[in-house]
Amino acid sequence: MMKKLRGKAGIVAALLLLAGCGAGADAAGGGTPQTGGTIVYGHVQEPPCIFGGWIQQAYISRQVLDGLVTLAEDGSIQPWLATSWTVSPDGTKYTFTLKENVKFTDGTPVDAAAVAWNFDYWENKGGNSTAKVSIDPYFKAATAVDATHVEISLTRPFPPFLTLITQGYFGIQSPTAFQSRGEKENCEKPIGSGGFVVEEWKHGEEVILAKNPNYTSWPATAKHQGPAIVDKVRWKFIADGVSRYSSLGTGESHVVYEVPTVNWKDAKTRYQTIRYITPGKPVSFYINTKTGPFTDRAVRQAFAYGADRKSAVEAGFHGVIPYEGNPAVSQSTPGYNAEAAKAYAYDPAKAEALLEQAGWAKGGDGIRTKDGKPLTIKLVYGAAFIFTQEGATVLQVMQEQWKKVGFDVKLIPATRAELWGGKYADPSTFDATPSYWTSPSPSILWIVWRPSTVERPNGSNRSFYNNDTLGQTIDRANGEQDAAQANALYGQAQQIIQDDAAGIGLYTQNSTYAVAQNLKDVWLEKSQGEPVFSDAYFTR
Amino acid sequence: MRYLLKLLSAVAVVIAAASVTFFAQLAVPGDRATTLMNLQTGQDRKWTAEELAPLNEKYGFDDPIVVQYLDYVTGLFRGDLGTSYTQKRPVLEVIGGQLLPSLTLTVLALVVAWFLALGVTLLTVRRGRFLSGLGATWEAMTASLPHYWVGIVLLVVFAVQLRVFPVIGGTSGWGTVLPVLTLAIPLAGFVGQVTREEFEQVLAQPFVTTARTRGMSDLAVRLRHVLRHAVLPAVTLSGWALGALISGAVITENIFGRPGIGQVLVTAVDTRDMPTASGVVLVVATVYVVANLLVDLAYGAIDPRLRRAT
Repeated sequence: MMKKLRGKAGIVAALLLLAGCGAGADAAGGGTPQTGGTIVYGHVQEPPCIFGGWIQQAYISRQVLDGLVTLAEDGSIQPWLATSWTVSPDGTKYTFTLKENVKFTDGTPVDAAAVAWNFDYWENKGGNSTAKVSIDPYFKAATAVDATHVEISLTRPFPPFLTLITQGYFGIQSPTAFQSRGEKENCEKPIGSGGFVVEEWKHGEEVILAKNPNYTSWPATAKHQGPAIVDKVRWKFIADGVSRYSSLGTGESHVVYEVPTVNWKDAKTRYQTIRYITPGKPVSFYINTKTGPFTDRAVRQAFAYGADRKSAVEAGFHGVIPYEGNPAVSQSTPGYNAEAAKAYAYDPAKAEALLEQAGWAKGGDGIRTKDGKPLTIKLVYGAAFIFTQEGATVLQVMQEQWKKVGFDVKLIPATRAELWGGKYADPSTFDATPSYWTSPSPSILWIVWRPSTVERPNGSNRSFYNNDTLGQTIDRANGEQDAAQANALYGQAQQIIQDDAAGIGLYTQNSTYAVAQNLKDVWLEKSQGEPVFSDAYFTR
Repeated sequence: MRYLLKLLSAVAVVIAAASVTFFAQLAVPGDRATTLMNLQTGQDRKWTAEELAPLNEKYGFDDPIVVQYLDYVTGLFRGDLGTSYTQKRPVLEVIGGQLLPSLTLTVLALVVAWFLALGVTLLTVRRGRFLSGLGATWEAMTASLPHYWVGIVLLVVFAVQLRVFPVIGGTSGWGTVLPVLTLAIPLAGFVGQVTREEFEQVLAQPFVTTARTRGMSDLAVRLRHVLRHAVLPAVTLSGWALGALISGAVITENIFGRPGIGQVLVTAVDTRDMPTASGVVLVVATVYVVANLLVDLAYGAIDPRLRRAT
């Protein structure tokens, strides 16, 4: 099985290299800046609607909708639709001053009432469940003080609030357009105040974005002042990696997303490349602590020691995607605990010792048993959407290593319909399942790891790990005004999760882009890594 | 009368296909409202009953299955295929926009496959050991090629190296060439294999010898007498192929960034967008039915004996 897979990967890799050789070198560097033109961008997945709570929607809604504030490279909060803001001394009231005379593309004003309506829509009307869950227990109300001042009140102090609303899910839409139009139009052509408007959506092929000539509300992090320099962006959906990357070589596209890892080296020599390590929960295993063999902490730790995760990741992704030993948050997240990430380096002897102590004895076939039950691990993974073919290979490599220490790991590929339909939601259906959740703030720990109680069930805690000390530590960190102190607490929380092996780290969620040499100033916004095209220009 | 019966049975087949799809999708484990919530948020978690209530209410997921089914079927007779859960558009519109590129791709692929297959057959059957062997090998080889492989090789050679065709040509004329070939080459192998066997047998028939003794040229014998007999099995195969190509088109669409109902179906099944998935199945079933009616007609045209029988 393994060999066959490698063989197939080899053919594709060889073809990809061939694909690379054929393309002529683009004119490098310099050149005279041009106005106008159309950027052809090769994306992978087509979302069902232009905006929503899935990152695939945030990518494209970022082009059309503006946010209140944005995240700068250094992690500071910078003005966008809001020029300034104040926080009440008790930390529960945020008052934003809006930029004046900003209009949505339907001509209505971006005023305090509009912003307040958006918050109400996300939080109370089911408008965006990711926006909701991001600030859920803390959000109280949004009210328009006057035309240019909006006040957002929280139930308790929550300093990560500003960082969280820099995400694409918090793009401000025109309430007038939204309320006067049908669901279909709102889905296909949301009206914001952004640098582009949706001109046409050719389903199954591309979304054509046209420049908003009256754009006035670029973020403080923009690379130029004024409307978009290019006329249009053709946002194409090219699911296949070979053709997506090839289209850049033949000049049919100017920017491509998700460069196949085998092509990354080649891309670095021929194009401008951007690699973004997504903050938030990395691709790490949720470990089912409620039922099955992983209820025993020693077995979880043995599982973490038992496979050379680092080497598997490096080999599987051709060194492009970094290994992440911290199961709680990725290395690009503020407050990352680098020490905790070092735990459980590959140590098969230790894994075997832990299993022996825990009473799992090796049988004739090398698989351990206890009380007549084999040490079988159901590892459910999202095939072809969370895990690419390369990711699946990483799992297969580790499966072999786990076998050597006595785990019988069953890899269970799950389709999106199965996984999202809840087939593997129940604790009885899996022992470990890898997944990620992007967020620019370590407060993601609260969403994922807070204990599930009867009054406040937490479906996101897929390890079913209910640790009150952990919950309290994260809660304190979330409310801590002093950033250093907050990060120390977040660091403790990560340590607890790692010590208890309630999750096991694997690799960071990445976004890679390759940009043609004659297209300048394509940049990624900081919170989620969405490409920004409103500053980009062609050179000749 | 006979045609009326045929038409009625065709309608019955289509309705049956839609019904089977409807129930098959209900049988898939997992809850539709949960899927929609997870799709909207990119998560794979459980949701509370209160969180799911608005969606259940909106799409009537809580209604008895019989009610949901009757709603769906009566909708079909009004030409209403429902509204996509995920895209919020009428299914008719979701499919309508993608149908033409898919039909263009599949019909062209079928035509090209026939030309390739007949060309190889006419030129190589009983043309000496070497040519015959070459033709047979070519057919066996192409028939077993996976679409993904054919597509990638064509892409690398003709789009990347030679730059004759675009990599992502969408629905443009030039952009359609490679996708069509991707589907046509393996199909030509199938059609060729079937035709070759029949062709060889017919060439040995007494009437062929008779025709030759009348002084007919070899090419004329092959074209006018032998081919007419030999294509019948391949014609039957084409009815099946047209439907199969529609579902096989998804790989090609993915490689060449081409719209089409193949992609719509995969996404719809993946996200449990039941109205859309059922709609696509309905369309594919219709294509099958129409294709088989056409095959019946073609039989009559090719074989005069069948015409007289009716």
